[in-house]
Amino acid sequence: MSQQGRRPSRFDRRRLVPALLGVLAGCTLASVTVGLGSSAVAQRAHSEAGAVFDATHLPALLRLPGERPRLVYDVQCVPEGVDDPERGCDVDGTVFFREDSREAFRAQKLQPSSSFGMRQLTATVPLDVASDTDGFEYYAELRTGGRAAPILLPAGGAHAPHRSLPLPNASTVELGSHVFGNADPGERVVFTRWGDGPRDVGLEPGRSLPAIGASAFDVTDDGKVVVLLDEAHRRALRFEGHEPAPTSVSLAIDGRLADLATDTDGSMYVLESVAAPGRTPLVRWFDRAGRELGVVETAERTPAEIRSGSDGPVVLQHPSHQWMPVADGGALSPPRAQARKAAVGRPVGAGRQVVVLRRGAGEILAAILAGGRVQRSWRIRSDTPLGDVQLAEPAGNRLVIVSRVFTHATDEFTVLVLDGHRLGRQFSTPSDEWAEAAPLGRFRLVGHDLYRLGSNASGAFVARYDLEMP
Amino acid sequence: MSGARPFAVSLAVTLGLALVGATAAYHTRFVADNCNAAAPTPTSYITRDGSATVALRARFEGYQWAGGCWNDNDRDDSPNDPHEDPATGGEGGDCSGFTFKVWRESLDQSDSGFQQWGMLRNVHGPYTAAAFKAGAGAPNITVSKSLLTKMDALASDGHIGLIYATNPDGTDQIIEAKGEDYGTNIWTRTYRGSSSYTGVRRTGWSA
Repeated sequence: MSQQGRRPSRFDRRRLVPALLGVLAGCTLASVTVGLGSSAVAQRAHSEAGAVFDATHLPALLRLPGERPRLVYDVQCVPEGVDDPERGCDVDGTVFFREDSREAFRAQKLQPSSSFGMRQLTATVPLDVASDTDGFEYYAELRTGGRAAPILLPAGGAHAPHRSLPLPNASTVELGSHVFGNADPGERVVFTRWGDGPRDVGLEPGRSLPAIGASAFDVTDDGKVVVLLDEAHRRALRFEGHEPAPTSVSLAIDGRLADLATDTDGSMYVLESVAAPGRTPLVRWFDRAGRELGVVETAERTPAEIRSGSDGPVVLQHPSHQWMPVADGGALSPPRAQARKAAVGRPVGAGRQVVVLRRGAGEILAAILAGGRVQRSWRIRSDTPLGDVQLAEPAGNRLVIVSRVFTHATDEFTVLVLDGHRLGRQFSTPSDEWAEAAPLGRFRLVGHDLYRLGSNASGAFVARYDLEMP
Repeated sequence: MSGARPFAVSLAVTLGLALVGATAAYHTRFVADNCNAAAPTPTSYITRDGSATVALRARFEGYQWAGGCWNDNDRDDSPNDPHEDPATGGEGGDCSGFTFKVWRESLDQSDSGFQQWGMLRNVHGPYTAAAFKAGAGAPNITVSKSLLTKMDALASDGHIGLIYATNPDGTDQIIEAKGEDYGTNIWTRTYRGSSSYTGVRRTGWSA
């Protein structure tokens, strides 16, 4: 007689009844629990439209003689609970100017305007302010009648305003039309294949085209170590000198197109790009062995890049478009302190900053500041459209600028070595962007060596260029 | 007392199985529990400003391949959806579904009129990123990348994002549905200069 055909014995029935009762109780409890959970989910998943209040501003950081800036703030504002996105709320604002950082700010009301169907608040800079030979500082406060807090642009307000600097002696560099197809691939110093092995670098999973991997790199000050951020495997790969294989350093990161900066002591700062709900992205600080030394949020919603500086790491943050120190005196700085110590230029040591403004389709203005004043400046013009400025950094007495040049069909990076008042050297590199990397994580300058992160279908690599001129 | 042990065992097993099932199902229930198939509202007045508002309301929400339904609670209600699966029923649009709703387009590709879609209307629209890149559909045209302005798009064969603001260094702040691990948000991108990307514009804006 088969087991299946056997009827339950009396003993079995004694066990079966409580077991069935258990199943019944379990189903009831589960239903209640899931029901409560569902209602919680339903509560979160409300359909009401939230309030919107946001503003952006492209600052007039640098300008040519005679140019009188018109300050434009694009403002998005819709009250809470209003489904119609075309029904905006009342906004107003004030811009505050001063010519000298020791003076008090003067207030000027922003005027409502619109352009291409975008609501704006604008102000034309007063002539006496615009004509000051040392430029002026300004910030704006934008308000709505709703419950939203006022927006300060830049975020540090009076503590760290925007600066607009005239360039009366800018050296003009005419690039003409870029000739594509002569790009220098450079000397390949690091190559690692896509994969999951100890020497490989990983690609992020998901339906993302192009692929995402090897999001950033950095090179130590002595040029002996190249550190590649392998965020898919949550690690850094250190390539040292002529060692055949990299050293793997595990990092507790949540990468997603993260940027990387190394410090002189071998410590690493990783700038993440995706934040927790209601928060801003994180900067994580690790020692050389990968031990976490600290974590801090950025001041603003959209950080773009992180670089090591003589006074610690700085992060370029938007919408303020300012470089903000994320560490001070060996400790990480909270967001408010970052915003209050922000600057429009990237600090490059010895009290100097580099300020860059790409404007129009084919023009870059660049200046080196010393003691807050323009020391040297350039106006670079190109008949071929210029894209992102990946790097602007002094090398000795020269300024190195790396910018993308592009047409509809192709793109390369052009490297400009600006020597005094002339273009000392120019060459181009391939873009080699098979995999997506951090937006401004592709170039590093160490001494007179320029390093470039690239990728192809096989893997990621770092190429080197000697910028020393005869 | 003899029935206590089988009662406890079956209670625990049943409860465990039910909760595991419910948790697993949670990530696939967003669309079923929250989204609708309501008809869009035709509208004759549409501005880039209004489309920016539509896009901003999707910020911090999720990403769903082939999806197009989200709420406005500033969190991904279906996190950790499996990658590569368009049928997980999670919150959010994908890049092209997000663009379709932000540009307030019609399901009829020959119709260049404006359709206001509710956030919780589950609609992806007829365009892939590659179709947008080609300027497919009556409302869409390709434009020189140097001429792009706010709420124009940059599209490749596999992705599309909308320009929210331009930065001094020539990068753009792009608002986009980037991927399951990213959700929908504003990021700094270099799409404009990349030869993989083409400039795309929705035509017919008011003002």
